[in-house]
Amino acid sequence: MEQSARELLRAVGGGLLVGLPLLFTMEMWWHSFLLPSWKIVLLLVVSFIVVIGYSAVSGFRRERSWGELIIDSVETMGIAMAVSALAMLLLGRIGPEVGLRDAIGKVALETIPVAFGVALAGSQLASPDDDDDSGSTAGDRAGVSPYGRLFVAAGAALLFALNVAPTEEPMLLGVEADWWLLLLVMAASMVMTFAIVFYADFRGGRSLDHGDGPLERPVPETIAAYAISLLVSLLLLWAFGRTDGVALPVILGQVIMLGLVASFGAAAGRLLVGGQQTAGGT
Amino acid sequence: MRQNWIEWVALLLSGVLVLSVVGFLVVDGLRDEGHPPEPVVVLRPDEAYATDHGWILPATVSNSGDTAAEALVLRATVTVDGAEEESELTVDYLPAGTEVEVSFGFSGQPDGEVSVQIVGFRLP
Repeated sequence: MEQSARELLRAVGGGLLVGLPLLFTMEMWWHSFLLPSWKIVLLLVVSFIVVIGYSAVSGFRRERSWGELIIDSVETMGIAMAVSALAMLLLGRIGPEVGLRDAIGKVALETIPVAFGVALAGSQLASPDDDDDSGSTAGDRAGVSPYGRLFVAAGAALLFALNVAPTEEPMLLGVEADWWLLLLVMAASMVMTFAIVFYADFRGGRSLDHGDGPLERPVPETIAAYAISLLVSLLLLWAFGRTDGVALPVILGQVIMLGLVASFGAAAGRLLVGGQQTAGGT
Repeated sequence: MRQNWIEWVALLLSGVLVLSVVGFLVVDGLRDEGHPPEPVVVLRPDEAYATDHGWILPATVSNSGDTAAEALVLRATVTVDGAEEESELTVDYLPAGTEVEVSFGFSGQPDGEVSVQIVGFRLP
């Protein structure tokens, strides 16, 4: 009972920690009425899948069936939705003068970043003596497959890029960047994320002589994670209507610029799930 | 898995909340016929008042279409002391179904009718 209350409060706290920047972003409020309903639903579905995947991959010690996983994820979304509704009310973004569709759109969009925070709070932010799901010790994550790791990378890329994607900046950067600048940004994204994951000795980082599978070698993993980051960026730009009627070079410019943010998210995500051999001691 | 009532209540509320929001959006999406923005301006002359720098005439702008209008420009034309006068204002965003409060300003209290024209807007 006390345990449940703590878990619930941790979920709310984690949701706010991650969600606050976007709760305070004007473009998020505006997109509630600028985006058609089906696009908002699609974004909710994508974030739901990420939440499921995140809970599945990240360190829950207890074994859970698919049913339990999905129920937990529905709960994550529900808590996030309640938090986002309360936040929109407290910030005065929802009131009697705001249309119902507009209000629900705002709550639905803000649910996405908050849900990622709630999912994180369920595992990574749990204190070690929380018996039920003490997820953040390295041993729990020993079984993360290269694909699982890339999935987490995609989720984290989405979380990072989501903070920037609704704003005007990627559009502006994409329009103004010269081709050689874009190439430099691509190179910088890959070199920096490579260094962060394999060289800089972050907690959860791995050494260069690691892994046997094709996707576990440092260079292919870096490239794969970067490609995923670009795809995530494209998805977000499309979702926020930044690609409608826009010329291909400008789309590419936006994708690469936003991809810089996404790739750092992907690197952070890979640090979070750590290395495959941590169970045997690094 | 779920030992007590807090967890059950959280789960139940979560399910209801998620389903109703998604359900609302799906229904709205299916019903949406894509009617273009249709700004409607209702003047509130009863609430008009004088300031040191002119006459203020409040109005409520709403949108009875399905689509939001961006950068909506409205122009009110009146006659003050026999001379024609215009007041123009911009509404940054006018979502469907939402009301926005605005005020037109004139040099003095208008004589007779106030006519409002939509100068233009941008589609999202």
